Amino acid sequence: MSMRFQHGWRRWVNIPTVGSVVIALFVLLPLYWMLASSFKSQGNVSASPPQLFPIPIATSSYNQAFSDGFGGFILNSFVVATCSTALVLTLGILAGYSLGRLPVRGKYPVMVSLLMISVFPTIAVVPSLYVAMRTIGWLNTYQALILPYTAFNLPFAIWILRNYFLGISRSMEESARIDGAGAVRTLVQIMVPQVTPGIFTAGVFTFTAAWTEFLMALSFDFGKKTIPVGIASFGAQFTVPYGAYFAASVLATVPIAALVIIFRKAVSSGLTAGSVKG
Amino acid sequence: MASTELAPGEVVAPPSRAAPPKIRREQIQRQYARLGWTFAAPALAVVGIVTIAPILFAIFMSFEKVNVTSAGFSFSGATLSNYHTMVTAGLWHHALWWTTLYTVVTVAVEMVIGTIFALVLERLTAGRGLMMALLLIPWSLITVISAELWSYIYNASYGILNGLWPNALGTPFSATVALMVADAWKTTPFVTIIVLAGLVMIPRELFEAAEVDGASGWKTFWRITLPLLRPTIGIAVLFRVLQAFGLFDLPYVLTNGGPGTSTQSLAILAYNTMFTNIDFGPGAAVAVSTAVIVVIMCLVFLRAFKQQVGSEEVPA
Repeated sequence: MSMRFQHGWRRWVNIPTVGSVVIALFVLLPLYWMLASSFKSQGNVSASPPQLFPIPIATSSYNQAFSDGFGGFILNSFVVATCSTALVLTLGILAGYSLGRLPVRGKYPVMVSLLMISVFPTIAVVPSLYVAMRTIGWLNTYQALILPYTAFNLPFAIWILRNYFLGISRSMEESARIDGAGAVRTLVQIMVPQVTPGIFTAGVFTFTAAWTEFLMALSFDFGKKTIPVGIASFGAQFTVPYGAYFAASVLATVPIAALVIIFRKAVSSGLTAGSVKG
Repeated sequence: MASTELAPGEVVAPPSRAAPPKIRREQIQRQYARLGWTFAAPALAVVGIVTIAPILFAIFMSFEKVNVTSAGFSFSGATLSNYHTMVTAGLWHHALWWTTLYTVVTVAVEMVIGTIFALVLERLTAGRGLMMALLLIPWSLITVISAELWSYIYNASYGILNGLWPNALGTPFSATVALMVADAWKTTPFVTIIVLAGLVMIPRELFEAAEVDGASGWKTFWRITLPLLRPTIGIAVLFRVLQAFGLFDLPYVLTNGGPGTSTQSLAILAYNTMFTNIDFGPGAAVAVSTAVIVVIMCLVFLRAFKQQVGSEEVPA
């Protein structure tokens, strides 16, 4: 907003700047508390009154997190999230291309059903999937999570990718066809490179969802704990090992926060796809 | 669907071919339709088998006597007893009421604060990218971690909020408010990002015209900004309400449904019925009831939304 005449106290206080500082503190203070507590010694974590700064800096909580099996949790989360993302992208690109550009009958009901599925509460599928996985012996395996995570993230991926495929100009595809390229080659060599922003959006969303999911991981994979289940089950009955919690939390948060910040354009276009595109 | 729009191959057919172009076009059309289904089939099969089939099977299970033994699950006959148990045990009523109250209050609070945040950030000239990056951190944070963090903040003997708000998790009312605060911290940034995206879409000329007409900031907000934000806010509310209604992670870790069972959401009740009491029939009934309510809310929302916004805003 250009030169608006400001009077009274507003002349001295820049509302956007002050407001932004307030917002930043709102977000950062709890995160600071997590980081600071992870670097306190066992005794200082439960000091009363609490220590505002972690002095002296202690890394014992990080050692404890790893001796409580945190390395394994990271590995499990990484395997599950990576496989789910790869599957979602492969199946999602094929389906998004098909529903966006090929003359498939019944597109509209398929797209609407996918939209409905994407908002379904997870608890609705837990009873049946638990029974099914126990029956076929899949409990405590990676596929017990990879398959549901793929299914739950596909609807969003298909929607996003379909919108990108719809936006590609027809002439590109036609010239490829005139050159004699088959449908699969046209898709892989001509179409896919043009929907990379959509692939990033779908990929980052799936990876984040798989990294953070708790209910299904708790129900199906107690033997192969992912990070959320692992952190929730730290400690013995009467001690709450907050130091180890926060060391593990910092290590689990840094990679995913880096991922969404690096791909923040893709993430915000995904977050706002619903509101801007209708 | 107009065929001209959907026939990527039609240009290929030159008029000199032996077959009349129309037949060839139809052939190609059919070939592409088959290809389309082949491409879409794997994804739709996975979604169908892992989401739709389990929901249907949960409905079946909720009307069956489910026996759990070390050998596995068996079903012995149709019954209404699961729903009877669910309704008469009292826990379901409380969970339904509590989840509804929690959803309404948290979503309302998050929408108001999120909109205020978005209005502030929209006027920010420098550093908006940095603020956006900051807002994405709570969004991507594992909810279990946020729950542990707040349980430490609220801790009754050494929590940092102890002086201001002693024993925050001690009574049902206070524990509910404590959960709402933790929820608002993690989710308000999400609302802010969405509302901000809607805000920058509003044409600048409208604000300039209002300023020329001498409208106050307050009046501009109520007469121009808010009405034009309505579709954005509607979508954000829809997503948040549906998500909040399936609430599980935060109260499971932060209060474990307590004190007592006072902060037990529907999803926690279903989970505990299945995995703590090993009662899969009633557990499935609670899960199905949650899903049914979500579907009803979704339909009501979509209807209200269509009426409010008009058909031109609804996706084609």
